Amino acid sequence: MSDEHRDGEHPTVGTYVRVALVLSVVTALEVGVIYVRQLAPIIVPLLLAMSAAKFALVALFFMHLRYDSRVLTLLFAGPLVLASGLAVALTTLTGAFLVFGR
Amino acid sequence: MSADSSGRVLHAPPSALAGAETSATVLGWLTTVDHKRIGILYGVTGFAFFLLGGLEALLIRLQLAVPNNTVVSAQAYNALFTMHGTTMIFLAIMPFNAMFFNYMVPLLIGARDVAFPRLNALSFWIFLAGGLLLNASLLAGTPPDIGWFGYANLTSKHYAPGLGVDFWILSLQILGVSSVIAAINFIVTILNMRAPGMTMMRMPVFVWMTLVVQFLIALAFPPITVGLIYLMFDRFFGTHFYDVAAGADLHLWQHLFWIFGHPEVYILILPAFGIVSEVLPTFARKPLFGAPIVIYSGVLIGFFGFGVWSHHMFATGMGPVADSAFSIATMLIAIPTGVKIFNWVATLWGGSIRPTSAFHFAVGLVGLFTIGGLSGVMHASPPVDLQQTDSYFVVAHLHYVLIGGSLFGLFAGIYYWWPKMTGRLLGEGLGRLNFWMLFAGFNLAFFPQHYLGAIGMPRRIYTYPPDLGWNAANFASTIGAFGIGVAVLIFMVNAWRSLRRGAPAPADPWDGRTLEWRTSSPPPAHDFDAIPPVSGRDSFWREKHGPRRGAAAGVGPAEHDATVHLPAASHWPLMVGLGMLIAAVGALTHVSLVVLGILWTICAIFRLALEHHRTPEHADQTGGLGLDHRKMAMWVFLGSECFFFGTLVATYLAYKGRSVVGPEPHQILNIPITTLSTFDLLMSSLLMVLALAAVQRGDHRQARLWLFGTALFGLVFLGFQAYEFTEFVHRGFTLQQNLFGSTFFVLTGLHGTHVAIGVLWLLSLWVLALRGRLGVADAVKVEIAGLYWHFVDVVWIAIFTLVYLIP
Repeated sequence: MSDEHRDGEHPTVGTYVRVALVLSVVTALEVGVIYVRQLAPIIVPLLLAMSAAKFALVALFFMHLRYDSRVLTLLFAGPLVLASGLAVALTTLTGAFLVFGR
Repeated sequence: MSADSSGRVLHAPPSALAGAETSATVLGWLTTVDHKRIGILYGVTGFAFFLLGGLEALLIRLQLAVPNNTVVSAQAYNALFTMHGTTMIFLAIMPFNAMFFNYMVPLLIGARDVAFPRLNALSFWIFLAGGLLLNASLLAGTPPDIGWFGYANLTSKHYAPGLGVDFWILSLQILGVSSVIAAINFIVTILNMRAPGMTMMRMPVFVWMTLVVQFLIALAFPPITVGLIYLMFDRFFGTHFYDVAAGADLHLWQHLFWIFGHPEVYILILPAFGIVSEVLPTFARKPLFGAPIVIYSGVLIGFFGFGVWSHHMFATGMGPVADSAFSIATMLIAIPTGVKIFNWVATLWGGSIRPTSAFHFAVGLVGLFTIGGLSGVMHASPPVDLQQTDSYFVVAHLHYVLIGGSLFGLFAGIYYWWPKMTGRLLGEGLGRLNFWMLFAGFNLAFFPQHYLGAIGMPRRIYTYPPDLGWNAANFASTIGAFGIGVAVLIFMVNAWRSLRRGAPAPADPWDGRTLEWRTSSPPPAHDFDAIPPVSGRDSFWREKHGPRRGAAAGVGPAEHDATVHLPAASHWPLMVGLGMLIAAVGALTHVSLVVLGILWTICAIFRLALEHHRTPEHADQTGGLGLDHRKMAMWVFLGSECFFFGTLVATYLAYKGRSVVGPEPHQILNIPITTLSTFDLLMSSLLMVLALAAVQRGDHRQARLWLFGTALFGLVFLGFQAYEFTEFVHRGFTLQQNLFGSTFFVLTGLHGTHVAIGVLWLLSLWVLALRGRLGVADAVKVEIAGLYWHFVDVVWIAIFTLVYLIP
């Protein structure tokens, strides 16, 4: 899809409301699953996945990245990925989550 | 537009220059928003700090000239090397680079100014506030004495009880704000304000290196900002981020510092690489050999620069896996650096060389930086690095990079662009004397330090006994340092003579290749009478000497703008800088000054923001990519914020479970209450998009309603947070309780501060809407406020999961 075409689109109020509903439901699910004992083995990746989904919904629809120029996506997603990598490195190199033994 | 017989645009002044500033009075300089004047302000201020840092260096070398010397005390020596390092990096080399970014980048891309001229002025005044604050520590008699790296826990209240470290923390924070604002400004300028026809790959290499450096600044400064916030909280409020007894890991500071510190090396050196990439082709009268490869190499250096920081920490014992990973990454980064060296040499090969002063300095960089680079590659090997760490070998290495690289490059730039900036030529004879004196003095000062380090002389010792075999090399090094001082004096004489009675410089004294030579020396306030057409790399060269010389091949003729809008002068940037300085001084003296400074700053920011709210020329800020400057700037800022919050969250996770006393998170966190506040914040994002949609369609009533609703939901979130914090404190869980308390309150508190700023912003828009001053044309202002608000929302989504939900 060309940038011109992306710029031309705008989500409707209905889309915004649907996104908000999904965000609410996922938030409720996030809180709910921590009380389900059977999900304990996969609780961390499950919570991270739901959190990432909410993050993506807000960024794509409320922040309009889905409709705006790809330049803006690049300006945000690049640092976001790099920052996530650094955060993982920092966490694994320091403190309680030390993966690489000293 | 008028044109001569060859079709080139003649430089007739535009018929009107709305808002153009020409005042040469002191007030004119204090309120200037002209990128050229701001560039000169950076240059002059940076040079003053450079002289101060140089004086500190000479005192260091005097002390080390002979064994058992007593020129200064050990305490004063510690302060000298701390102030020398901090000054040269943050207050000399960085502002020298900023001088060229400011003055040259708009000219090189064919723009009339930067994207945000008043923010540009703001960056300078905040920089000056930070520089003055740091050096005020000398006047106060309590300079910092902890090294420019400030390793924890030497910076703790226990080991550094005076105000020196506080001066250092606050000034670095202020300087960081200045740098990030400038970085965002230049990223938008370069991406969105290029002349028609100037594609990314047609940009001069200096502009490319500037772009890479701005990304490095925007992304590398937040981690050190967070590290400094932790240090500030430890010292001011008794938290435990760097308190080993409370379970903290001192590696945290080193990681945060070097995540910033290593990209900082490239922040200092890449602009010099860019300058050399402009100077060598001009004086070799050849295009830069493999220019795209030089550009890709610069980008790769910037990218790899984020993955090598721990090679500064091999001696701390990170373990073999981490050592290996950072060792390989460090070796990899040598490849693009080496590529550049070969490309510069290949540019000279077969060229028609004109050995000007600028050329001398550029070639000097190629040779001297290669030496610094080779000693750098040695540090990539952990076993070798262990022998060299904290020895004079490292001092030699870093000075070969930062003087042999950065300073020689900057001198090349000064000799190259001085005629453009001042309208006068520098003396070539004195210029070459300047070069040879600097070259000789520098090598005499620093080459022997490789040897000193190899035979065991440690860094940061203020004296040494006479029987270690270090005497001759140290004495030679001191002689060399004074040689550098003489070289700087020669430059000052040259500059003075040029300004007093230097030969007038023509528009294009070097037969240049890039657009800055297409306008007069110095350029008019509006830079170009007509935005120059760009037909390829080295466009001006093609225009003069290409197969279709006399015409800009492939593009239409430049349009001569009948009216050019230049922003009017503003004193509000200066006021914001002053407010920040007052607040920082207050943090060192009395809390009432902090309150005064913060209120002053907030008021000045409001005045700055609303200064041109209704000015028609400011309404449309759409750039060459079809994107609004402000919107692009907000996205860059949010990218920078990813690093800020990423660091905060990573620290929280790294310290999770390390507290030596309770409570633990699961004993105290109230998930049901926080779920409600999370829901509230999510719904505020819905209201925000409804507000934006209403403003875009001109529905004032709905706009007011949804804007107020968003702000109200934000206030409710803050209410939840205030309740949570109060409840915790009543239960004995405070900032000072344990590591969990320190990380939890600082992370969520800083997020809450962001929410509070957002609420203030939304209420301001709501008041504008109430007054009928928020029309459809202002939709972008609501949109960028919305982007900020949604970002605060997504950060909370992450915090809610990582802090509250994950067991």
